[in-house]
Amino acid sequence: MSRPTTGPALEVRGLSKHFGGVIAVDACSFEAPLGQVTGLIGPNGAGKSTAIDLVSGFKLADSGTVLFKGREIQGHPPHEISRLGLIRTFQSPREWPGLTVLENVVMARWDPGREGFLGAITGLRRAQRAKADDELAQARDILDEFGLAKLRNERAGNLSGGQKRLVEFARIRMAAPELVILDEPMGGVNPVLGERMAVAIEGFIAAGTSVIVVEHNLPFIERVTQHVIVMAQGTVIAEGPFESLRSNRDVVDAYLGEQVR
Amino acid sequence: MTTYLIAVLTEGAIFGIMALGLNVIWGWSGDFDLAYYGYIAVGAYMTIVLTVGPPVAPAQYIIGQSLPYPLAVVFAVITAMAVALVVGSIALRHLRGIYFSIVTLGAVYVMYVFAGQYVPLFDGYNGLSGLFDPMGDWFGLDYFSYQYFFLGLSLVMFALVYFVMSRVSSSRFGMALRTLREDERAAAAFGRDIYRLKLKGYVLGAALGGFAGALFAAYLTAFNTSAWSPVEVIVLYSAVLVGGRGNIRGVVLGVLIMGLIVNESTRFLPQLPLPGLSAFDTLHPQVLQAARGGIIGLVLVLFLRFRPQGLLPERRFVDRSPATPAIEPAPLAS
Repeated sequence: MSRPTTGPALEVRGLSKHFGGVIAVDACSFEAPLGQVTGLIGPNGAGKSTAIDLVSGFKLADSGTVLFKGREIQGHPPHEISRLGLIRTFQSPREWPGLTVLENVVMARWDPGREGFLGAITGLRRAQRAKADDELAQARDILDEFGLAKLRNERAGNLSGGQKRLVEFARIRMAAPELVILDEPMGGVNPVLGERMAVAIEGFIAAGTSVIVVEHNLPFIERVTQHVIVMAQGTVIAEGPFESLRSNRDVVDAYLGEQVR
Repeated sequence: MTTYLIAVLTEGAIFGIMALGLNVIWGWSGDFDLAYYGYIAVGAYMTIVLTVGPPVAPAQYIIGQSLPYPLAVVFAVITAMAVALVVGSIALRHLRGIYFSIVTLGAVYVMYVFAGQYVPLFDGYNGLSGLFDPMGDWFGLDYFSYQYFFLGLSLVMFALVYFVMSRVSSSRFGMALRTLREDERAAAAFGRDIYRLKLKGYVLGAALGGFAGALFAAYLTAFNTSAWSPVEVIVLYSAVLVGGRGNIRGVVLGVLIMGLIVNESTRFLPQLPLPGLSAFDTLHPQVLQAARGGIIGLVLVLFLRFRPQGLLPERRFVDRSPATPAIEPAPLAS
């Protein structure tokens, strides 16, 4: 699959959302280029998570537009946005706990032809079986890559928090979206695993998946990208390489009380 | 004894189909649907009004056709699916958990009260009757041989449903339903149209309910509101729970166990060698009758407390390919 490597993967323009009297996202605009990692940082309550919910269709915006590969997706339901190739993760891992790790990875790929009731009945056909076998082999390879091969038959709900994060990453690899938005992937993750996740993010880029990382862990952001967007009070206050942000007065103010290294 | 055995097996096959349908909705999609018995009733009522011909006064009911039984069954199933589509499209849109259950409980009571009170529909509380030995005269069967025929028919239909459901269980459709049960936000994030998928599962489950109802009507030869109190669905739930929610083998086992308990407790409770029990039963026959519900409740509570996954828990696909990791994974601790 050849995918363009330039131009924005995601363009957010004037996005706003309020809950009652609280303005969570306020005329927020930013771009995330194709084929790169974009960091999205900001203090607690900056509106990062709400912005992701709006972009991925899990919440409806009050106003503004969201263009994914130049196409308006604001107002579309989450599954449609996902099918277009924009997949997001959640702050806490959302594995399917009763399914095995392998099943979690296999089911990360949505397959319209085989997921209907008729597909269930006609599943004996050779072409269908071959496809299922391919998928299984691919899922095994991905689990291998993430060091989860031995856990593949374990129910995902039994895994540790860090392992669940890896399963989430493995699912992204299987789904192979054009853009993934990772919502605080480092939450509850130790430094060793963090390095593995940084490598995995490089793997996403190599596989043609652009990445937006929302994160509080600034060293991790610095490790994975130079292009950082800073949000505060629902809007973007700064953007640029990490070094320039460190000396940016607004950013320091926004983070007052938080450590910027 | 033979008659008794035939009755138990026929009922078992029919309840088996009912439980397999409920398993789609509750076992796989994960929705605690209390309207399920309504779809069984719709299937039963529709089969009768489509086969027994026009009503003779003072009886009143709609349609009144004399269709061949199999054709009537098809229409009955379609009607049950249509009703489920209406209820499901309202209840499944935004409601989950207990809120979904409450709405479906409301829906089934609307159906129940409507069937009972609105006489021109299915003759109110009198209900419908006259579905004697459908298809029996095609094969020139008398009353006794018909029992065997209908037992065979029920078992074949059960086997057919079981086969199809075993296919669905391991299919991507079945797996997609389970992703909704396990975490539907994640399912949506990975491209599943939650509402459509849940509705599909719901209508499929209701189709099996309607089908079982169509067989049940022929088995009972009649159907009225006393044949389907909405709480009957609890017996089906207990069968699915005891056997193993999500596992179709477990569901069948649960039907056998709960069928035995339900049938046998009322028969054998009075015969327990307790002093004065039989005299008490003669005086107050309704008490031991009611003990049936108590026993079902006790079984439910015990299973929920000690073995909520059921006797045969849902089985997961086990990959036995000798996949050896290229590199030993670093120990993960977090």
